[in-house]
Amino acid sequence: MTLPSHKPFFLWRHLNKLRWLTLSVVFAMLVLLPYLHVYQTYVAAHAYDLLAPSEQQVYDVMEALTEPFVGDPAEDLDAIKGNTWSGTFWGVQLSDPLAALGQSAAGMTLYWPFWLTALIPIALSAVFGRFFCGWVCPATFIYELNSNFASWLRWAGLKVGNRHFDKRLKYVVLALGLILSAVTGSVLVAAIYPPAIVGREIYYVIGIGGFGAGTMFFVGTLLFDLLIARRGFCRYLCPGGALYSLLGRYRLVRIRRIVETCNDCAKCNAVCEFGLDPLRDGFGQECNNCTACMAVCPTDALTFILRPADVPAQGPGHLGRRYRGEHTEIDGTAAEQEEAA
Amino acid sequence: MERRGVLQSVIAFASLLGAGVLPYGVSSLLAPGKARAKRNYLRPPGALKDDAAFVAACIGCGLCGEVCPPRCIRFHARDGAAMVNTPYIDPEQKGCTLCNKCMEVCPTKAITVVSRSEIDMGIAEIDRTACYPWVDRGVCGACVSICPLGAKAIVFKMWNQYQPIIKQGCVGCGLCVEVCPHPSLPIWVIERPHPTPQRNKASS
Repeated sequence: MTLPSHKPFFLWRHLNKLRWLTLSVVFAMLVLLPYLHVYQTYVAAHAYDLLAPSEQQVYDVMEALTEPFVGDPAEDLDAIKGNTWSGTFWGVQLSDPLAALGQSAAGMTLYWPFWLTALIPIALSAVFGRFFCGWVCPATFIYELNSNFASWLRWAGLKVGNRHFDKRLKYVVLALGLILSAVTGSVLVAAIYPPAIVGREIYYVIGIGGFGAGTMFFVGTLLFDLLIARRGFCRYLCPGGALYSLLGRYRLVRIRRIVETCNDCAKCNAVCEFGLDPLRDGFGQECNNCTACMAVCPTDALTFILRPADVPAQGPGHLGRRYRGEHTEIDGTAAEQEEAA
Repeated sequence: MERRGVLQSVIAFASLLGAGVLPYGVSSLLAPGKARAKRNYLRPPGALKDDAAFVAACIGCGLCGEVCPPRCIRFHARDGAAMVNTPYIDPEQKGCTLCNKCMEVCPTKAITVVSRSEIDMGIAEIDRTACYPWVDRGVCGACVSICPLGAKAIVFKMWNQYQPIIKQGCVGCGLCVEVCPHPSLPIWVIERPHPTPQRNKASS
Protein backbone atom coordinates (compact mmCIF):
# COMPACT_ATOMS: atom_id res chain seq x y z
CA MET A 1 0.00 0.00 0.00
CA THR A 2 2.82 2.44 0.81
CA LEU A 3 4.13 3.83 -2.40
CA PRO A 4 7.61 5.35 -2.54
CA SER A 5 6.13 8.72 -3.44
CA HIS A 6 4.20 8.69 -0.19
CA LYS A 7 7.33 8.32 1.90
CA PRO A 8 8.67 11.56 3.33
CA PHE A 9 12.40 12.18 3.19
CA PHE A 10 13.84 10.03 5.94
CA LEU A 11 15.52 12.91 7.78
CA TRP A 12 12.33 14.89 8.29
CA ARG A 13 11.30 12.86 11.30
CA HIS A 14 14.62 13.70 12.97
CA LEU A 15 14.21 17.43 12.52
CA ASN A 16 12.63 17.66 15.95
CA LYS A 17 15.97 16.70 17.49
CA LEU A 18 17.65 19.41 15.45
CA ARG A 19 15.03 21.81 16.73
CA TRP A 20 15.83 20.93 20.34
CA LEU A 21 19.48 21.41 19.55
CA THR A 22 18.75 24.84 18.09
CA LEU A 23 16.65 25.85 21.08
CA SER A 24 19.34 24.64 23.47
CA VAL A 25 22.08 26.49 21.58
CA VAL A 26 20.07 29.74 21.58
CA PHE A 27 19.35 29.42 25.28
CA ALA A 28 22.95 28.49 26.07
CA MET A 29 24.14 31.52 24.11
CA LEU A 30 21.82 33.76 26.12
CA VAL A 31 23.47 32.44 29.27
CA LEU A 32 26.99 32.51 27.87
CA LEU A 33 26.93 36.02 26.39
CA PRO A 34 26.45 37.85 29.72
CA TYR A 35 29.32 35.84 31.21
CA LEU A 36 31.46 36.73 28.22
CA HIS A 37 30.56 40.37 28.74
CA VAL A 38 31.52 40.17 32.39
CA TYR A 39 34.80 38.60 31.33
CA GLN A 40 35.31 41.42 28.83
CA THR A 41 34.90 44.01 31.55
CA TYR A 42 37.48 42.22 33.68
CA VAL A 43 39.88 42.12 30.75
CA ALA A 44 39.29 45.78 29.92
CA ALA A 45 39.99 46.74 33.52
CA HIS A 46 43.19 44.61 33.79
CA ALA A 47 41.82 43.66 37.17
CA TYR A 48 42.48 39.95 37.56
CA ASP A 49 44.36 40.33 40.82
CA LEU A 50 41.61 42.45 42.31
CA LEU A 51 38.83 39.95 41.59
CA ALA A 52 37.13 37.81 44.15
CA PRO A 53 37.83 34.06 43.84
CA SER A 54 34.43 33.39 42.27
CA GLU A 55 35.01 36.16 39.74
CA GLN A 56 38.43 34.72 39.01
CA GLN A 57 36.72 31.40 38.27
CA VAL A 58 34.45 33.15 35.76
CA TYR A 59 37.50 34.81 34.26
CA ASP A 60 39.40 31.52 33.97
CA VAL A 61 36.53 29.57 32.46
CA MET A 62 35.71 32.25 29.93
CA GLU A 63 39.37 32.67 29.04
CA ALA A 64 39.68 28.93 28.45
CA LEU A 65 36.54 28.96 26.31
CA THR A 66 37.45 31.91 24.12
CA GLU A 67 41.22 31.82 23.96
CA PRO A 68 41.41 29.72 20.74
CA PHE A 69 39.09 32.09 18.91
CA VAL A 70 39.91 35.64 19.90
CA GLY A 71 43.06 37.67 20.17
CA ASP A 72 41.82 40.65 22.13
CA PRO A 73 38.76 39.61 24.17
CA ALA A 74 37.77 43.15 25.07
CA GLU A 75 37.23 43.99 21.41
CA ASP A 76 36.78 40.73 19.51
CA LEU A 77 34.05 39.37 21.73
CA ASP A 78 31.85 42.27 20.67
CA ALA A 79 31.14 40.27 17.50
CA ILE A 80 28.12 38.52 19.03
CA LYS A 81 26.03 40.59 21.36
CA GLY A 82 22.45 40.86 22.42
CA ASN A 83 19.51 38.50 22.50
CA THR A 84 16.65 37.43 20.26
CA TRP A 85 14.85 40.73 20.82
CA SER A 86 17.69 42.55 19.14
CA GLY A 87 21.21 41.44 18.58
CA THR A 88 24.28 41.89 16.47
CA PHE A 89 26.20 39.08 14.83
CA TRP A 90 29.48 40.05 13.20
CA GLY A 91 28.08 43.39 12.21
CA VAL A 92 24.71 42.07 11.04
CA GLN A 93 22.01 43.49 13.25
CA LEU A 94 18.88 41.41 13.66
CA SER A 95 15.75 42.48 15.48
CA ASP A 96 12.41 40.99 16.26
CA PRO A 97 9.69 42.32 13.92
CA LEU A 98 7.61 43.01 17.02
CA ALA A 99 10.36 45.31 18.29
CA ALA A 100 10.26 47.30 15.07
CA LEU A 101 6.47 47.42 15.10
CA GLY A 102 6.26 48.33 18.78
CA GLN A 103 8.88 51.02 18.43
CA SER A 104 7.10 52.52 15.45
CA ALA A 105 3.85 52.52 17.44
CA ALA A 106 5.42 54.02 20.55
CA GLY A 107 7.20 56.84 18.75
CA MET A 108 4.59 57.17 15.97
CA THR A 109 7.49 57.33 13.55
CA LEU A 110 8.99 55.02 10.98
CA TYR A 111 12.70 54.66 11.58
CA TRP A 112 13.78 52.65 8.58
CA PRO A 113 17.32 51.65 9.67
CA PHE A 114 15.71 49.77 12.51
CA TRP A 115 13.14 48.18 10.22
CA LEU A 116 16.04 47.00 8.04
CA THR A 117 17.33 44.96 10.96
CA ALA A 118 13.94 43.24 11.17
CA LEU A 119 13.91 42.48 7.46
CA ILE A 120 15.65 39.09 7.59
CA PRO A 121 13.30 37.72 10.28
CA ILE A 122 10.31 39.03 8.31
CA ALA A 123 11.53 37.38 5.10
CA LEU A 124 12.20 34.10 6.89
CA SER A 125 8.75 34.24 8.48
CA ALA A 126 7.17 34.78 5.08
CA VAL A 127 8.79 31.52 3.94
CA PHE A 128 8.78 29.37 7.07
CA GLY A 129 5.85 30.89 8.93
CA ARG A 130 5.92 31.05 12.68
CA PHE A 131 9.26 29.19 12.82
CA PHE A 132 10.69 31.60 15.39
CA CYS A 133 8.25 30.29 18.00
CA GLY A 134 9.33 26.70 17.57
CA TRP A 135 12.97 26.94 16.59
CA VAL A 136 14.54 30.04 18.13
CA CYS A 137 12.47 31.52 20.93
CA PRO A 138 14.32 31.11 24.25
CA ALA A 139 11.01 31.15 26.09
CA THR A 140 9.81 28.18 24.03
CA PHE A 141 12.73 26.21 25.42
CA ILE A 142 11.39 26.71 28.94
CA TYR A 143 7.74 26.47 27.95
CA GLU A 144 8.24 23.09 26.30
CA LEU A 145 10.14 21.79 29.31
CA ASN A 146 7.25 23.13 31.35
CA SER A 147 4.69 21.28 29.30
CA ASN A 148 6.79 18.10 29.50
CA PHE A 149 6.74 18.62 33.25
CA ALA A 150 2.97 18.97 33.05
CA SER A 151 2.70 15.65 31.25
CA TRP A 152 4.82 14.03 33.98
CA LEU A 153 2.44 15.47 36.53
CA ARG A 154 -0.50 14.13 34.58
CA TRP A 155 1.21 10.75 34.40
CA ALA A 156 1.62 10.87 38.19
CA GLY A 157 -2.11 11.41 38.51
CA LEU A 158 -2.16 15.12 39.25
CA LYS A 159 -4.50 17.47 37.49
CA VAL A 160 -2.96 20.04 35.18
CA GLY A 161 -4.83 22.69 33.31
CA ASN A 162 -6.06 21.95 29.84
CA ARG A 163 -8.57 24.69 29.19
CA HIS A 164 -9.10 26.08 25.73
CA PHE A 165 -9.68 29.67 24.77
CA ASP A 166 -10.08 31.42 21.47
CA LYS A 167 -6.74 31.49 19.61
CA ARG A 168 -7.69 34.84 18.08
CA LEU A 169 -7.26 36.46 21.49
CA LYS A 170 -3.57 37.00 20.81
CA TYR A 171 -4.34 39.25 17.86
CA VAL A 172 -6.38 41.39 20.23
CA VAL A 173 -3.42 41.41 22.60
CA LEU A 174 -1.14 42.50 19.76
CA ALA A 175 -3.48 45.27 18.62
CA LEU A 176 -4.08 46.47 22.17
CA GLY A 177 -0.36 46.40 22.86
CA LEU A 178 0.36 48.60 19.87
CA ILE A 179 -2.44 50.98 20.84
CA LEU A 180 -1.24 51.14 24.44
CA SER A 181 2.33 51.68 23.23
CA ALA A 182 1.18 54.59 21.11
CA VAL A 183 -0.84 56.04 24.02
CA THR A 184 1.82 55.68 26.71
CA GLY A 185 4.78 56.40 24.44
CA SER A 186 6.84 53.42 25.57
CA VAL A 187 7.31 50.04 23.94
CA LEU A 188 4.88 48.16 26.17
CA VAL A 189 4.87 44.96 24.11
CA ALA A 190 8.46 44.45 25.28
CA ALA A 191 7.21 44.13 28.85
CA ILE A 192 5.01 41.10 28.14
CA TYR A 193 6.86 39.38 25.29
CA PRO A 194 8.48 36.27 26.81
CA PRO A 195 11.58 35.93 24.56
CA ALA A 196 12.48 39.56 25.21
CA ILE A 197 11.87 39.04 28.92
CA VAL A 198 13.97 35.86 29.08
CA GLY A 199 16.86 37.38 27.13
CA ARG A 200 17.19 40.49 29.21
CA GLU A 201 16.44 38.92 32.57
CA ILE A 202 19.26 36.43 32.06
CA TYR A 203 21.52 39.41 31.33
CA TYR A 204 20.28 41.27 34.41
CA VAL A 205 20.92 38.37 36.69
CA ILE A 206 24.39 37.56 35.38
CA GLY A 207 25.68 40.90 34.17
CA ILE A 208 24.13 43.32 36.63
CA GLY A 209 22.80 41.24 39.50
CA GLY A 210 19.17 40.93 40.52
CA PHE A 211 16.05 39.93 38.65
CA GLY A 212 13.72 42.52 37.20
CA ALA A 213 9.97 42.52 37.23
CA GLY A 214 9.90 40.51 34.01
CA THR A 215 10.94 37.36 35.86
CA MET A 216 7.81 37.49 37.97
CA PHE A 217 5.74 37.92 34.84
CA PHE A 218 7.47 34.99 33.18
CA VAL A 219 6.96 32.77 36.21
CA GLY A 220 3.31 33.80 36.08
CA THR A 221 3.05 32.66 32.47
CA LEU A 222 4.68 29.34 33.41
CA LEU A 223 2.07 28.82 36.11
CA PHE A 224 -0.65 29.82 33.66
CA ASP A 225 0.62 27.17 31.26
CA LEU A 226 0.86 24.58 33.99
CA LEU A 227 -2.39 25.18 35.84
CA ILE A 228 -4.82 26.69 33.35
CA ALA A 229 -4.02 26.05 29.72
CA ARG A 230 -1.27 23.97 28.12
CA ARG A 231 1.15 26.33 26.33
CA GLY A 232 -1.54 28.91 27.03
CA PHE A 233 0.54 32.04 26.74
CA CYS A 234 1.93 31.11 23.32
CA ARG A 235 -1.41 29.92 22.04
CA TYR A 236 -3.71 32.63 23.28
CA LEU A 237 -1.81 35.67 24.50
CA CYS A 238 1.63 36.14 22.94
CA PRO A 239 1.68 39.31 20.78
CA GLY A 240 4.84 38.22 18.98
CA GLY A 241 3.27 34.89 18.13
CA ALA A 242 0.33 36.78 16.71
CA LEU A 243 2.62 38.90 14.54
CA TYR A 244 4.57 35.87 13.33
CA SER A 245 1.32 34.05 12.58
CA LEU A 246 0.15 36.93 10.46
CA LEU A 247 3.51 37.10 8.66
CA GLY A 248 3.39 33.37 8.05
CA ARG A 249 -0.17 33.23 6.86
CA TYR A 250 0.88 32.63 3.25
CA ARG A 251 4.10 30.84 4.09
CA LEU A 252 5.68 28.59 1.51
CA VAL A 253 6.93 25.72 3.65
CA ARG A 254 4.10 23.78 5.24
CA ILE A 255 3.52 20.42 6.79
CA ARG A 256 1.14 18.15 4.92
CA ARG A 257 -0.56 14.95 5.96
CA ILE A 258 -0.18 12.03 3.55
CA VAL A 259 -3.64 10.61 3.68
CA GLU A 260 -2.62 7.31 2.06
CA THR A 261 -0.39 6.31 4.97
CA CYS A 262 -2.21 8.00 7.85
CA ASN A 263 -3.88 5.60 10.26
CA ASP A 264 -5.87 8.15 12.31
CA CYS A 265 -3.92 7.46 15.50
CA ALA A 266 -4.14 11.15 16.48
CA LYS A 267 -0.72 11.20 18.10
CA CYS A 268 0.03 14.33 16.08
CA ASN A 269 -2.88 16.15 17.66
CA ALA A 270 -1.81 15.03 21.11
CA VAL A 271 1.78 16.16 20.66
CA CYS A 272 1.03 19.49 18.98
CA GLU A 273 2.12 22.19 21.38
CA PHE A 274 -0.08 24.77 19.74
CA GLY A 275 -3.27 22.72 19.85
CA LEU A 276 -3.59 22.41 16.10
CA ASP A 277 -5.30 19.64 14.21
CA PRO A 278 -2.83 17.84 11.89
CA LEU A 279 -5.12 14.82 11.88
CA ARG A 280 -7.72 16.72 9.89
CA ASP A 281 -5.24 18.84 7.92
CA GLY A 282 -5.91 21.77 10.20
CA PHE A 283 -2.52 23.52 10.27
CA GLY A 284 -3.39 27.07 9.41
CA GLN A 285 -1.30 30.14 10.13
CA GLU A 286 -0.57 29.08 13.70
CA CYS A 287 1.65 26.15 12.74
CA ASN A 288 5.28 26.92 13.50
CA ASN A 289 6.80 24.00 11.55
CA CYS A 290 8.21 22.59 14.76
CA THR A 291 7.98 19.06 13.26
CA ALA A 292 7.02 17.44 16.56
CA CYS A 293 4.10 15.79 14.78
CA MET A 294 6.46 14.39 12.14
CA ALA A 295 8.70 12.92 14.79
CA VAL A 296 5.84 11.23 16.60
CA CYS A 297 3.98 9.88 13.56
CA PRO A 298 4.19 6.04 13.61
CA THR A 299 3.49 5.64 9.89
CA ASP A 300 5.55 8.55 8.51
CA ALA A 301 2.42 10.17 7.19
CA LEU A 302 3.58 13.80 7.52
CA THR A 303 5.87 15.58 5.15
CA PHE A 304 6.76 19.04 3.91
CA ILE A 305 5.07 20.74 1.03
CA LEU A 306 5.94 23.94 -0.81
CA ARG A 307 2.63 25.68 -1.25
CA PRO A 308 1.24 29.02 -0.11
CA ALA A 309 -1.93 27.39 1.23
CA ASP A 310 -2.84 24.29 3.19
CA VAL A 311 -4.22 21.30 1.34
CA PRO A 312 -7.96 21.08 2.01
CA ALA A 313 -9.21 18.43 4.40
CA GLN A 314 -8.52 14.99 2.93
CA GLY A 315 -10.82 12.91 5.08
CA PRO A 316 -9.86 9.96 7.28
CA GLY A 317 -6.50 8.27 6.77
CA HIS A 318 -6.45 5.32 4.44
CA LEU A 319 -4.89 3.01 7.01
CA GLY A 320 -7.41 4.00 9.65
CA ARG A 321 -10.29 1.86 10.75
CA ARG A 322 -12.91 4.31 9.55
CA TYR A 323 -11.65 4.56 6.00
CA ARG A 324 -11.17 0.82 5.71
CA GLY A 325 -14.65 0.22 7.09
CA GLU A 326 -16.06 2.48 4.41
CA HIS A 327 -14.01 0.93 1.62
CA THR A 328 -14.08 -2.77 2.49
CA GLU A 329 -16.20 -3.70 -0.52
CA ILE A 330 -14.07 -1.76 -2.96
CA ASP A 331 -10.63 -2.50 -1.61
CA GLY A 332 -11.26 -5.47 0.63
CA THR A 333 -8.22 -7.51 -0.26
CA ALA A 334 -5.80 -4.71 0.48
CA ALA A 335 -7.45 -4.00 3.81
CA GLU A 336 -7.28 -7.65 4.76
CA GLN A 337 -3.65 -7.76 3.82
CA GLU A 338 -3.01 -4.74 6.00
CA GLU A 339 -4.75 -6.35 8.94
CA ALA A 340 -2.83 -9.57 8.47
CA ALA A 341 0.47 -7.69 8.33
CA MET B 1 -34.70 40.62 21.51
CA GLU B 2 -32.80 43.56 20.07
CA ARG B 3 -31.60 44.95 23.39
CA ARG B 4 -30.44 41.59 24.62
CA GLY B 5 -28.34 41.01 21.53
CA VAL B 6 -26.73 44.43 21.85
CA LEU B 7 -26.02 43.82 25.53
CA GLN B 8 -24.46 40.45 24.79
CA SER B 9 -22.21 41.85 22.12
CA VAL B 10 -21.18 44.73 24.40
CA ILE B 11 -20.33 42.25 27.16
CA ALA B 12 -18.43 40.04 24.73
CA PHE B 13 -16.47 43.03 23.43
CA ALA B 14 -15.69 44.24 26.95
CA SER B 15 -14.50 40.82 28.07
CA LEU B 16 -12.39 40.53 24.93
CA LEU B 17 -10.80 43.88 25.69
CA GLY B 18 -10.31 42.88 29.30
CA ALA B 19 -8.64 39.61 28.38
CA GLY B 20 -6.45 41.42 25.88
CA VAL B 21 -5.35 44.07 28.35
CA LEU B 22 -4.76 41.48 31.07
CA PRO B 23 -1.07 40.74 30.32
CA TYR B 24 -0.25 44.45 30.16
CA GLY B 25 -2.06 45.03 33.42
CA VAL B 26 -0.21 42.16 35.08
CA SER B 27 3.13 43.41 33.82
CA SER B 28 2.50 46.92 35.13
CA LEU B 29 1.25 45.54 38.44
CA LEU B 30 4.50 43.64 38.82
CA ALA B 31 6.52 46.82 38.34
CA PRO B 32 4.44 49.31 40.30
CA GLY B 33 7.09 51.86 41.24
CA LYS B 34 7.32 55.10 39.37
CA ALA B 35 10.61 55.82 37.69
CA ARG B 36 12.86 57.12 40.37
CA ALA B 37 13.83 60.68 39.64
CA LYS B 38 17.10 60.52 41.48
CA ARG B 39 19.26 63.49 40.79
CA ASN B 40 22.13 61.36 39.66
CA TYR B 41 20.43 59.01 37.20
CA LEU B 42 21.79 59.73 33.75
CA ARG B 43 20.90 58.44 30.34
CA PRO B 44 23.73 56.85 28.34
CA PRO B 45 25.89 59.18 26.24
CA GLY B 46 24.29 60.13 22.95
CA ALA B 47 20.79 59.40 24.23
CA LEU B 48 18.01 61.60 22.97
CA LYS B 49 17.73 64.63 25.20
CA ASP B 50 13.95 64.52 25.30
CA ASP B 51 13.34 61.69 27.73
CA ALA B 52 9.87 60.90 26.38
CA ALA B 53 11.33 60.49 22.91
CA PHE B 54 14.07 58.33 24.36
CA VAL B 55 11.61 56.00 26.11
CA ALA B 56 9.54 55.78 22.94
CA ALA B 57 12.58 54.92 20.82
CA CYS B 58 14.17 52.44 23.24
CA ILE B 59 13.00 48.84 22.84
CA GLY B 60 14.75 47.61 25.99
CA CYS B 61 17.01 45.10 24.26
CA GLY B 62 19.88 45.74 26.63
CA LEU B 63 22.56 45.86 23.92
CA CYS B 64 24.03 49.10 25.28
CA GLY B 65 24.54 47.41 28.63
CA GLU B 66 26.01 44.33 27.05
CA VAL B 67 28.79 46.22 25.29
CA CYS B 68 29.57 48.65 28.10
CA PRO B 69 33.18 47.95 29.17
CA PRO B 70 32.85 49.32 32.72
CA ARG B 71 29.31 47.88 33.02
CA CYS B 72 28.03 51.27 34.08
CA ILE B 73 24.76 51.02 32.12
CA ARG B 74 21.98 49.61 34.23
CA PHE B 75 18.31 49.19 33.48
CA HIS B 76 15.01 50.31 34.96
CA ALA B 77 14.04 46.70 35.57
CA ARG B 78 11.49 47.30 38.32
CA ASP B 79 10.67 50.97 38.00
CA GLY B 80 7.32 50.92 36.32
CA ALA B 81 6.18 49.28 33.12
CA ALA B 82 6.27 52.62 31.31
CA MET B 83 10.05 52.65 31.60
CA VAL B 84 10.27 49.14 30.11
CA ASN B 85 13.91 48.40 30.82
CA THR B 86 15.37 51.58 29.50
CA PRO B 87 19.03 52.12 30.38
CA TYR B 88 20.43 54.52 32.91
CA ILE B 89 23.78 55.25 34.46
CA ASP B 90 24.10 55.67 38.18
CA PRO B 91 27.39 57.54 38.54
CA GLU B 92 27.48 56.83 42.26
CA GLN B 93 28.03 53.20 41.29
CA LYS B 94 29.92 53.54 38.03
CA GLY B 95 30.66 56.45 35.77
CA CYS B 96 30.69 56.41 32.00
CA THR B 97 34.08 56.22 30.32
CA LEU B 98 32.85 57.78 27.04
CA CYS B 99 33.95 54.79 24.98
CA ASN B 100 31.03 55.30 22.50
CA LYS B 101 30.35 51.55 22.18
CA CYS B 102 26.70 51.92 23.23
CA MET B 103 26.14 54.51 20.52
CA GLU B 104 27.50 52.24 17.85
CA VAL B 105 25.53 49.19 18.93
CA CYS B 106 22.12 50.76 19.54
CA PRO B 107 19.79 49.42 16.83
CA THR B 108 17.27 52.22 17.23
CA LYS B 109 17.70 55.95 17.25
CA ALA B 110 17.43 56.07 21.05
CA ILE B 111 21.21 56.39 21.34
CA THR B 112 22.74 58.18 18.40
CA VAL B 113 26.37 58.43 17.45
CA VAL B 114 27.77 61.80 18.48
CA SER B 115 31.33 62.95 18.87
CA ARG B 116 32.84 62.94 22.31
CA SER B 117 32.61 66.68 22.84
CA GLU B 118 28.94 66.77 21.80
CA ILE B 119 27.82 64.25 24.38
CA ASP B 120 25.40 65.91 26.77
CA MET B 121 24.50 63.73 29.72
CA GLY B 122 24.45 66.75 31.98
CA ILE B 123 27.03 68.86 33.74
CA ALA B 124 28.75 68.31 37.03
CA GLU B 125 28.11 70.60 39.96
CA ILE B 126 30.22 71.01 43.08
CA ASP B 127 28.95 71.84 46.52
CA ARG B 128 31.60 74.28 47.67
CA THR B 129 30.40 74.06 51.26
CA ALA B 130 31.27 70.37 51.49
CA CYS B 131 34.09 69.56 49.06
CA TYR B 132 37.25 68.98 51.12
CA PRO B 133 39.57 71.45 49.38
CA TRP B 134 36.87 74.07 49.18
CA VAL B 135 36.27 73.98 52.94
CA ASP B 136 40.02 73.86 53.47
CA ARG B 137 40.18 70.37 54.81
CA GLY B 138 43.12 69.05 52.91
CA VAL B 139 44.02 68.24 49.32
CA CYS B 140 42.11 65.86 47.08
CA GLY B 141 41.89 66.43 43.32
CA ALA B 142 40.38 62.99 42.60
CA CYS B 143 37.72 64.44 40.29
CA VAL B 144 40.27 66.45 38.35
CA SER B 145 42.63 63.54 37.87
CA ILE B 146 39.90 61.11 36.73
CA CYS B 147 38.23 63.46 34.25
CA PRO B 148 38.57 62.04 30.71
CA LEU B 149 38.11 65.47 29.15
CA GLY B 150 40.82 67.25 31.08
CA ALA B 151 41.17 70.95 31.40
CA LYS B 152 38.16 71.90 29.33
CA ALA B 153 35.82 70.17 31.79
CA ILE B 154 37.30 70.57 35.24
CA VAL B 155 40.28 72.50 36.53
CA PHE B 156 41.82 73.54 39.80
CA LYS B 157 41.12 77.04 40.95
CA MET B 158 44.82 77.75 41.05
CA TRP B 159 47.75 75.52 40.21
CA ASN B 160 48.70 74.96 43.81
CA GLN B 161 45.24 74.91 45.32
CA TYR B 162 43.04 71.89 44.90
CA GLN B 163 39.60 73.50 44.72
CA PRO B 164 37.99 72.03 41.56
CA ILE B 165 35.98 74.20 39.21
CA ILE B 166 33.63 72.84 36.55
CA LYS B 167 33.97 74.23 33.06
CA GLN B 168 31.35 74.26 30.32
CA GLY B 169 33.17 71.49 28.46
CA CYS B 170 31.94 68.95 30.99
CA VAL B 171 29.67 66.33 29.38
CA GLY B 172 28.40 64.78 32.59
CA CYS B 173 30.02 61.34 32.39
CA GLY B 174 29.92 61.04 36.17
CA LEU B 175 33.37 59.59 36.70
CA CYS B 176 34.07 62.41 39.18
CA VAL B 177 30.98 61.37 41.15
CA GLU B 178 32.22 57.80 41.20
CA VAL B 179 35.64 58.65 42.58
CA CYS B 180 34.66 61.40 44.99
CA PRO B 181 35.86 60.29 48.43
CA HIS B 182 33.49 62.54 50.36
CA PRO B 183 30.69 60.48 51.95
CA SER B 184 27.99 63.00 51.07
CA LEU B 185 29.11 63.36 47.44
CA PRO B 186 29.53 67.11 47.08
CA ILE B 187 29.85 66.61 43.31
CA TRP B 188 26.99 65.40 41.18
CA VAL B 189 25.61 65.68 37.68
CA ILE B 190 22.68 67.96 36.91
CA GLU B 191 20.77 68.83 33.77
CA ARG B 192 22.69 71.40 31.79
CA PRO B 193 20.84 74.62 32.65
CA HIS B 194 21.54 76.71 29.54
CA PRO B 195 22.85 74.70 26.65
CA THR B 196 25.22 77.00 24.88
CA PRO B 197 26.11 76.26 21.27
CA GLN B 198 29.70 77.23 21.90
CA ARG B 199 30.15 75.02 24.92
CA ASN B 200 32.28 72.55 23.06
CA LYS B 201 34.90 75.08 22.13
CA ALA B 202 37.66 75.83 24.54
CA SER B 203 35.94 77.89 27.20
CA SER B 204 37.37 80.60 29.35
